[in-house]
Amino acid sequence: MDLADLTRDLEALRTEALTSIEAAPDVAALEALELDVLGKKGRLTSVLRGIGALPADDRPKVGAIANVVRQTIEGALAERGAALRGSEMQARLTAEAVDVTTPGRPIRRGTLHPSIEAMREIASIFEQFGFVVYESPEIEDDLTNFQMLNIPPDHPARDLWDTLYVDVEGRLLRTHTSPGQIRVMQTETPPIRALLPGRCFRYEAIDASHGTEFFQVEGLMVDEGTTMGDLKGLLDQFAKAMYGSDKRTRFRPGYYPFTEPSVAFDVECLVCGGTGCPACGRSGWMTILGAGMVHPVVLQYGGLDPERYQGFAFGMGPERIKMLKHGITDIRLFLENDLRFLEQFR
Amino acid sequence: MRVPLSWLREYVDIELTPEQLAERLTLLGMEVKGIQVWGADWHDVVVGELLAVEKHPNADRLSLTRVTTGSGEPLDIVCGATNIAAGQRVPVALPGAVLPGDRRIERTEKMGVVSNGMLCSGDELNLTSDADGILILPQDAPLGVPLADLFGDIVLDVDVKPNRGDALSMVGLAREVSAVTGAPVRFPETDPVETGPPIAERLRVDVEESALCSRFVGRWVGGVTVKPSPDQVQMRLIAAGQRPVSNVVDVSNYVMLELGKPIHTFDAAAVHDGRISVRLAREGERLETLDHVVRKLEPDTLIIADPHGPIGIAGVMGGAGSEIGPGTTDVAIESAIFDPVSIRRTAFRYGLRSEASLRFEKGQEHRMARLGADRTARLIREWAGGDVAVGAVDTDPSEPAPTRVAFRPARVDRLLGTTMGSAEQAAVLARVGVATEPAGPHTRILIAATPRPLEVDARDAGTLVATVPSWRRDLVIEADIAEEVARVQGYDTIPEILPHTPMPPYRPSPLRLRDTVRETLAGAGLTEAATYALVSPSMIERFPPIEDVDVPGEGQAGGRPVTVTNPLSTQHSIMRQSLIGSLVEVISTNARQARPDVAIFEIGKGYGATEDGDSTHEWWRLAIALTGAAEIPAWNRSARPYDLDDIKGVIDLVAWRLGLPAPVYAPVTDDPRLHPGRAASVRAGAELAGRVGELHPALVEDLDLRTARILVAELAVAGLSGSQPSVPRISALPRHPAVDRDLAVIVAETVPAADVVGAIRQHGGPLLRSIRLFDIYRGRPLADDEKSLAYRLAFQADDRTLVETEVDAAIDGITAGLAADVGGRLRT
Repeated sequence: MDLADLTRDLEALRTEALTSIEAAPDVAALEALELDVLGKKGRLTSVLRGIGALPADDRPKVGAIANVVRQTIEGALAERGAALRGSEMQARLTAEAVDVTTPGRPIRRGTLHPSIEAMREIASIFEQFGFVVYESPEIEDDLTNFQMLNIPPDHPARDLWDTLYVDVEGRLLRTHTSPGQIRVMQTETPPIRALLPGRCFRYEAIDASHGTEFFQVEGLMVDEGTTMGDLKGLLDQFAKAMYGSDKRTRFRPGYYPFTEPSVAFDVECLVCGGTGCPACGRSGWMTILGAGMVHPVVLQYGGLDPERYQGFAFGMGPERIKMLKHGITDIRLFLENDLRFLEQFR
Repeated sequence: MRVPLSWLREYVDIELTPEQLAERLTLLGMEVKGIQVWGADWHDVVVGELLAVEKHPNADRLSLTRVTTGSGEPLDIVCGATNIAAGQRVPVALPGAVLPGDRRIERTEKMGVVSNGMLCSGDELNLTSDADGILILPQDAPLGVPLADLFGDIVLDVDVKPNRGDALSMVGLAREVSAVTGAPVRFPETDPVETGPPIAERLRVDVEESALCSRFVGRWVGGVTVKPSPDQVQMRLIAAGQRPVSNVVDVSNYVMLELGKPIHTFDAAAVHDGRISVRLAREGERLETLDHVVRKLEPDTLIIADPHGPIGIAGVMGGAGSEIGPGTTDVAIESAIFDPVSIRRTAFRYGLRSEASLRFEKGQEHRMARLGADRTARLIREWAGGDVAVGAVDTDPSEPAPTRVAFRPARVDRLLGTTMGSAEQAAVLARVGVATEPAGPHTRILIAATPRPLEVDARDAGTLVATVPSWRRDLVIEADIAEEVARVQGYDTIPEILPHTPMPPYRPSPLRLRDTVRETLAGAGLTEAATYALVSPSMIERFPPIEDVDVPGEGQAGGRPVTVTNPLSTQHSIMRQSLIGSLVEVISTNARQARPDVAIFEIGKGYGATEDGDSTHEWWRLAIALTGAAEIPAWNRSARPYDLDDIKGVIDLVAWRLGLPAPVYAPVTDDPRLHPGRAASVRAGAELAGRVGELHPALVEDLDLRTARILVAELAVAGLSGSQPSVPRISALPRHPAVDRDLAVIVAETVPAADVVGAIRQHGGPLLRSIRLFDIYRGRPLADDEKSLAYRLAFQADDRTLVETEVDAAIDGITAGLAADVGGRLRT
């Protein structure tokens, strides 16, 4: 075998390899071909095995030719490989296409109850002003629910709280969260900034705006210098946080036996913006809570000296707060637990 | 209280529009809840004059009238009333008119004659109670003018608060208007013209219970004619919400609304010997009250009696026997002041709360007893004629000294956050008739009246003493003066500031752990419910408390159920002892709304009393209920119903979220609520314990639930009642790899998986880090009563990479332990 033979063989290998590469149907065939031509035991290696028989000065020439052949074949393999992989990927993508417009696989959706969430929302606003949360019992005694709040037995103001009594001597279902004021004052020393959320009960027929059971949030702030001006400023902040910073608020006289002076707190009608509509009884205002300066009698029952300490209390219904905010007109929805209602509070 | 403005104007001039007046009164604490336009429901009703009244040609009982309304052709109108005559002015409803009750008047034919409208009675216009006769208008009523211009009125609905009984009257509200506008109040004339016999010859009053009747003023009017009141009086009473009855009866209602003084009038002929006594009822006494109910009188009821027995329940309701009727000629007037508590108790006891008893309950001004009696006698004489006896019986003619309240203007400013000073405060108080003067040297200031009177010395040189008008029974302590100052000055003048006093120390919120659980469960797709704490007796019976649950600090469920003694309905009459029934009810509610898939939870309380009934306790629980499809049904998923493993998964999630050990379940077969083969107790460390299971199929049937399987759980969780979630310890990541081994254990079908895990854990040695069940197999080649549980065990050491022999040794130990403890063998 001489130089010419080897050169011819290499040339033939190249031609044949290039033809085969061009004809390879897929990546797998191409990879087999690569092994067959360029592998350790491949045909190129076997052609070059004849190199040892050549004269020493011919060997580099064959080596150079062989390198060119190898590079040419490698180039063709790479080119063909890229083309084949591209079309195979294309075919896979086409085959895997789905209708992207169908709905997703739904994940179960849970919501939190609007009454409880409203209490948390209210608490979080007042927590910014240093208020801390307490709780007190739902089965109360007459003393704490009424008498210590300056509502003696047979007081006409008892008409404001129709009461459910229970078969335990002296006990009733608390009609408001206000007895919590007494319990906090009896256990804490001023400064006090307390918030008392919880369930309340009334002897009241259930209708669109009344429930036998409902929630309430009580607030109490007592120290040596808290004034009605603080109450007014704080409640204004609360209303703006809850309903929007552009909302006007109004402070007017109210009546509770356990506050003096007493306050009814209004926010401009959220439906008409204050011009007057059926929702606000054409007054332009909606009452959102009651408040006042803690009555000296209540401070005394709480174990505090009314000459030294003063402060305010307020109470609100989280359902009413939510109803005004979301335009809900029936309070019964809150304890009915119809999921069509609950699931709207996202 | 309903306040017709035309009536209020008798006592004070009002130049404000009704809307302005309503707002000013509201800002003064007299909340106007509504403004009603009286007569707004009269359309096309005008003043007409009867030109002629003739018999209807075809009907005996009808008249044919010719009416002019001042312009256009006279109208022929058929009328059935008999009180009409030519020359009278009357209300004419023209064709197209609308009357109260949305009654429409059209041109009609009546017995062959066309009627071009209708003449109206007072009743048809809701002006007076006279339904028989046509309302005869004053002769000077201008022809053709809409009736609304003549009799239309504005009626304010004023919410007078319980502490302001003095304002439950026209005069009282006129004083409030005066406080706003400064216009003077005109108190009505009260002195009657006395032309009758001396009172002593007609009436004697003996008050036996002076503690319950501090003053009784009696008067007597003889020779009255009982008939309907003047039209204007009827119009006022109707607009104010009172039904006119007769002139004499209307006087007492009129005076009550005018002065706030409840008055009772007796037919004097029925008061034996003209002797009235005020005493407690005696055992066995009965009285037929004005509502014609015969009532057995309880011995502590204050009554009005004559020598023959009771003739009225004092301050609450009169007796039928002495009722003013058409034949009454002589009238005895009672204007008394009764003890508010006694009246309130009596009114409640007999279920007879009235406008009168409401006013007595709020307390009465002492001098009003005399003024009310005088005004009543005067008006009876005006409206019903007769002669008023000379003088009055009066059991306590003395006038008590006015209340004096000392106050420190600086203290008032400190409470309100204002800087008004004493001069301005004094000026404000003067607007409501409160006079002020500097306090004397030894003045004491009343801070609080109860539980013990708290007074301080007036060391403050600026202390003032307020002299309170006799009608203002609500001004007693310094804080009352502060409110009055703020109220009259206007709450809008109080500056808005933000709290700037010392802050209380940090206190962890008792809601934190509850909120953590709530958010976790909502995130897992459950919806939070909030249900009634008051439930029905049958729910109490079906869902008793889960008593064997013990988590320190979370209270034991149980005790006697707490029952409401005055429930509105039995549906809400007993305090619940378990939340499960409430959640099942929510499932039922939603099933009825075609919502079969429900996943809900509630954090709520159970309630109980000790058996002796002396004390009560409340306990917080987390309840969960699942039913229907475990995932939202969708086209790209096959439906799978919830089962026990799902609710256990929820419990496992809660435990994981709170950093508790993995919950351990143990079979419970005797809970009547639950399927005996699908119920378990659950415990995770000391911090979580409870019950979980599938609702008993018999109970599902019993409750007529439309859904087949309901999974429920109720758990006590440490911290639900008010403490914090614990802080998890975070470990460094392991530096050496774990070795996994799979172990299939064949045990008898009756061996619970928990026992197998327990045995593996017990015998696994210190290197065993986790055990995970990944398959359960039943069938060949196992015996029929066998199952194979496949676990993946992970072994790991902190300080080295384990070698096979160490793991093999651990497996050998486990294998031996399984054989010994649960009779298990490895499947190979």
